Amino acid sequence: MKYLVMECHLSYAVVLDEEGRFLKVANLHYEVGQTVTDVIEMQVPQSVAPKKNTKRWIYSIAAIAACLMLVLLAVHQMEPMIYASVYMTINPEIRIDVNRKDAVIGLEGINADGRELIEGYSYKNKDLNLVMDQLVKRAIDMGYLHEGGQISLVLDADREEWIVSHSDALTTHLNEHLKEIMSVTIKVTDKNAKNHRVVIPVAPAENHNGESDYTEEDDYAEESDYIETEMTTRPPVSTASDDSSHSDNNHGDNNSDYGQTDYDDRDDVEDDDRSDNDAISDGESDYNNGHDTKDDDQDDDDSDESEDEEGSDDSDDDDSDDDDSDDD
Amino acid sequence: MPSEHQIIKAVYAAKTDLQKADDLIRDYIPFIRSEASKCTAKYCTENDDEFSIAMIAFHEAISGYERQRGAFLSYASMLIHSRIIDYRRKESRHQGHISLYSESGDHGRTIMDEVADEQDHFEVSANLEATKQEIEELSAVMADFGVSFSDVAENSPKQKRTLEACASAIQYAAENKLLLEELLKNKKLPMAQLVLGSGVERKTLERHRKYILVMLLIQTNGYEMIRNHVRHVLKRKGGMPV
Repeated sequence: MKYLVMECHLSYAVVLDEEGRFLKVANLHYEVGQTVTDVIEMQVPQSVAPKKNTKRWIYSIAAIAACLMLVLLAVHQMEPMIYASVYMTINPEIRIDVNRKDAVIGLEGINADGRELIEGYSYKNKDLNLVMDQLVKRAIDMGYLHEGGQISLVLDADREEWIVSHSDALTTHLNEHLKEIMSVTIKVTDKNAKNHRVVIPVAPAENHNGESDYTEEDDYAEESDYIETEMTTRPPVSTASDDSSHSDNNHGDNNSDYGQTDYDDRDDVEDDDRSDNDAISDGESDYNNGHDTKDDDQDDDDSDESEDEEGSDDSDDDDSDDDDSDDD
Repeated sequence: MPSEHQIIKAVYAAKTDLQKADDLIRDYIPFIRSEASKCTAKYCTENDDEFSIAMIAFHEAISGYERQRGAFLSYASMLIHSRIIDYRRKESRHQGHISLYSESGDHGRTIMDEVADEQDHFEVSANLEATKQEIEELSAVMADFGVSFSDVAENSPKQKRTLEACASAIQYAAENKLLLEELLKNKKLPMAQLVLGSGVERKTLERHRKYILVMLLIQTNGYEMIRNHVRHVLKRKGGMPV
């Protein structure tokens, strides 16, 4: 590109390029009329944008609004959090989820009858007591609950206080409510208590260390027949908190249930192994008691077993075999 | 600081008045030279390119200065430094090449003198003289219209599209000599006719009024050398070469 110098100033020159542009360039000792090839163009810096101070406050308002939204959102999120659940079993089995304020936030039928019971029922904005009343009423209307029937409630919550405070309150409330209508048995358990019941089936010797306990339990867990048979001998243990008559009566029914919970419980024990040693010893004593009531021979066998274990840890398999024979 | 205040006032005055800008620059030549010397790490004479660049950087500083940018002299110094650095970076491409004007041997003769001897010195200098005369005439006519080359340089279109739009207007005028005669007679741009004839937005032409004026003046008789220089403008769209 050639540039024709049109005008010279002290600090710059005006040149005309071949495309007809006039440019201000550095005056590298040019003279008017000269044709030059390389020029250094003048670049006027962009003017700085004036600061917009006028609407500064909008940002702070926006920030406050955002914070508020966050807090609201958090509160909103907290509200429907399941704080506790009540499992109500008549024959229809349902689960009622409540939040911190005992407002019902979820309702689910666990078995087919349960689903039928809650079908078309709206729990929106209702209190736990109200929902229970209405559901019991429905159960009566639908013929699930009869005179002399039984309602069993299982409370499940993370916090112990809730269970403690509600187990009595719910029973009294339901009793009040049903007093005029019919008389039913109301049984309240909480999930943790249920767990307590099924602690450890086998009574290991006191001097047994944690590790051998482990292997032992694993072995037992694999032998399903053991669990079943063991169940039959166990009901006395479950009477610890509940009415013993019931569990005795329903021996056959409960078997499967216990088997399941038993399994779970084992897992629990495995998780916190040694800390449960006390519980294990408790279980053992219960176990022994149970045997006492049933059969003295078995008790003898038991003592034999503990002796065996004392003798050698390697003979675990033998022990379990012994157990089987015991239970049979 | 009162002295600082004074220079800021002077700078703001120089922004609009070219004469004042020249005066201000002349006053600050020692400052400019010292800044250039700092950058080149050697004494900078007024014949060095760096000095010229420092001068135009100072001019840029005058036109670009705003109060928010802080003290004027430090701003100017910053600009000078960065411009010189830019220039050096550009020049570094030519490292290892010898300038045609560098001295080749004894007697202080340059390579240019030895190589380009066959060129007709008389013709070159005659051309230069003729061009110079034309430019002087043109600037005299422009003074009649109250326009200087500096004004035109500021008014000149920079965007390619605008430049082409203006070129088509100029082309139209060049093809209709009557328009040019009218311009010279009335001392007034026949804007309406240009808009009608070229089909360019009136706003575009108005915005570059001074530029169009000068380009049309160049198309009138008597500026053969300049017209020859910008002949590409008219050729662009296959229009008739003048």
